[in-house]
Amino acid sequence: MSKKVDFSRRKFLHQAGAAGVAASTLSYTGFARAAGKPVEPMTLLTANASFDPVRPEMGRLISQACRGIGWDVELAAEDYNLGITKVFKEKDFDMFIVRWTGRANRVDPETFISMMHHRDGAYNKWGYDNAKVNELADAQQVEMDPGKRQAIIHEAQKVIFDDAATSPIVYPSMTNAYREDRLDGVVPQLGEGIGSLWTDLNVTTKAGDGYVRTGMTSPLKNLNPVGVHDSNEFKELRMIYDRLIQVGPDGSIVPWAATSINAVDSTTIDITLRDGMTFHDGEPVTVEDVKFTFDYCLQWKAPFFLSSLEKFASVEITGANTIQIKLTAPHAPLMINFFAQIFILPKHIWQDIPEKVAVDDVLNFANENPVGSGPFRFDYWDRGKELKVSANKSHFHAPKCAGIIRITYGSHDAMAAAIEAGECDRTRYILKPSLVQDLNKINGIVGKGYASHGMYGFMFNHLRGPLQDPAFRKALDLVIPRDVIRDVVMTGFAENGGSVIAPANEFWHNSAVKSRKTDVKQARAILEQAGYSWDSAGTLMYPA
Amino acid sequence: MLEYVLRRLVYMLITIFAVASILFVIFRLLPGEATLQVISPAMDDAVQERMKAAFGLDKPLWQQYFIYIKNLVTLEWGRSFVSAQRVIDILEYRFWNTVLLMAAGMCMTLVLGISIGMIMAWRRNGPVDIVGTVTGLIFQAAPPFVTGLLLLMILSYRLGLFPTGGMYPPGQRPEDVLALLMMPEFWHRIVLPTITVGLYYITTPMLIMRDSMLEVLGSDFIELAKAKGLKARVVMIKHAARNALLAVVTLASIMVGFAIGGQVVVEALFSWPGMGQLMVESAASHDYPVAQGTFLMLAILVISLNFLTDVWYCYLDPRIKISASGLN
Repeated sequence: MSKKVDFSRRKFLHQAGAAGVAASTLSYTGFARAAGKPVEPMTLLTANASFDPVRPEMGRLISQACRGIGWDVELAAEDYNLGITKVFKEKDFDMFIVRWTGRANRVDPETFISMMHHRDGAYNKWGYDNAKVNELADAQQVEMDPGKRQAIIHEAQKVIFDDAATSPIVYPSMTNAYREDRLDGVVPQLGEGIGSLWTDLNVTTKAGDGYVRTGMTSPLKNLNPVGVHDSNEFKELRMIYDRLIQVGPDGSIVPWAATSINAVDSTTIDITLRDGMTFHDGEPVTVEDVKFTFDYCLQWKAPFFLSSLEKFASVEITGANTIQIKLTAPHAPLMINFFAQIFILPKHIWQDIPEKVAVDDVLNFANENPVGSGPFRFDYWDRGKELKVSANKSHFHAPKCAGIIRITYGSHDAMAAAIEAGECDRTRYILKPSLVQDLNKINGIVGKGYASHGMYGFMFNHLRGPLQDPAFRKALDLVIPRDVIRDVVMTGFAENGGSVIAPANEFWHNSAVKSRKTDVKQARAILEQAGYSWDSAGTLMYPA
Repeated sequence: MLEYVLRRLVYMLITIFAVASILFVIFRLLPGEATLQVISPAMDDAVQERMKAAFGLDKPLWQQYFIYIKNLVTLEWGRSFVSAQRVIDILEYRFWNTVLLMAAGMCMTLVLGISIGMIMAWRRNGPVDIVGTVTGLIFQAAPPFVTGLLLLMILSYRLGLFPTGGMYPPGQRPEDVLALLMMPEFWHRIVLPTITVGLYYITTPMLIMRDSMLEVLGSDFIELAKAKGLKARVVMIKHAARNALLAVVTLASIMVGFAIGGQVVVEALFSWPGMGQLMVESAASHDYPVAQGTFLMLAILVISLNFLTDVWYCYLDPRIKISASGLN
């Protein structure tokens, strides 16, 4: 039988990826073979200015700075989707700049240590493989004692920094604006600024109908709590659906629908559900609903929750308000990455989905009239324009305002203009730093940067050319003009980057890991010490 | 006549089929992988494959194409990758928003364009004619985002006379289109985008009306009307303008098609949730079903309007003869 040829796009990309790996391997060999030859020019990939005006500017400054060590770097500012395809799918890149946003779940160090730097980390498409980091990343996952886990995370940060595995450029603030003449009681949250759930719950309006008009520049895409995977959707769904716990304003864990989540031992977790909760249609919230949520999300392979659910050996109802989870192995990140993310589904509604809604897959269910038990009830969603939710006054943490109206604006400028005109009360997410500065000059408006644990990262393909060499990467880290980037590109709304865990994430950040001060001379000295040299034209040459 | 209409109908269907096929290919040629926009790259391969299967992206391209064409014919245009809503439902709502904006813009364009063009011709080479021509050409040369931004900057941001965007005040979604039309706030909000659309398109009907009027004004029957002692206004409006309108009427239907397609910038600028904004959103997020649906709907609209124009043209001007192969 002749072999069937598969010309599908997936197959093609798979082959392209394999070719990329093969090319990388060749170039690794090339590192040794290139002894004494000029270091080959490389490309720095960033998203284009229409996606993020800051990244190409950073890229331009860094590529110019690389000339200081005699190395040519070409900047490629490309469409965002094309860029992530090159990095994450095709693995065809030299270096890139990315913004690791300070999402609530990234307060847990799992993302920055394991997912980015473990050999098998989900984000690690850049071939970083350090035995010590792998060992520490594995150890922190199974260490259930926060103090001991903190020590492991601190050590991992030090190793990653010394190896210059990733260069954090700056830690950007969450640049937000709000009308202080309209709102009282905004509560900033680490990584979320005043767009947080805590603001939704505690804010009051000084005049008008009591609704807080909240601006976003990207449209709300989806209201399906099973298919959810984008942080924009989490921000809205968490108003309608309850979670077992929430991440608090300072990044700590706050009991929510669960009054307690106790680790009986390293693989057994007991959850106690709050009494007297009801869904918006009047049905009570029970442990049956919680168990159903876990089972249902596992059955339908809910994208965001699947990897956590696969660590569950069993889920058992142990009492009227209690449920016990047995894990296949200890997994510390579960608290923030899973229990503080998953939404409690009403079993009486979701047990009939997708069968009764004429779709073949729950991911294709639009959930246009979501019923949860959260602090806000759904009113309507006008795709592309706005979402309106009203306060659920019978909730155990009832909001102080009448509700939230989330409005989509065409651009940052349009949103800033709406705030200035008094049509919008606050921003949900990042507003361009220069606009925040302008708005702050207007009476009645506060524009400022709020603490975030996110970062702009300068990422290397560890399988290519000189980027395999820690000395070379350290030299690159030293040429990044961080002060200029912080003061000019970020207009002061940032701190210089050092450790992969930002100082704002106080519990996990290792304060002994300091940002490298820009020093081209020292960079050249490190290269020289590592055997690099320069020809008469000043071009950087590999060690002989 | 019937044979001509049927023939044009068949041509129209073939064109729509070709457009649909081209759209299918174009969106798949876009750089970057669709699923990466929808699915986080951090998710493991099993999850990515699972999401591809949900969207039907795991099938070979040719199968996806046949499913697409079949769905097209049965008017089941699929579901958005992003929101899981039915494409037809999304398009229906957005379509009327665009139609409202376009209708207001076209009314302004035609009423003002025809009136000014008429006066310009009547006062040929006078100050109105010269100023009108120059101003018209400036507006035509200025892209809508420049005019729109200037209007927003002056009338909205500086003077605060108009809201910065949207169709209705936040939180006050009307039940239906009728309720929307009854809202004074809606009319307040449509003024600036209407002026932006109107100013961009006004030059063409204005200059065509002017030229057409000049041609008519040179006719004997105008001289006769004047000789009969009729008032200048009666001659201008009743005799000259009515005859000069034919050219503008023909142009209007074509303009409507292009105006609907040309709303992208205006809608983005004024946060107007119409087809143009949807086009940008869906193309940027690689939401194939919605992007294809939006572009296809616009194509169908433009092709249908062209068809109606041809038929309408035959009806309006009986001097035009129809042969088996088309118009003579």
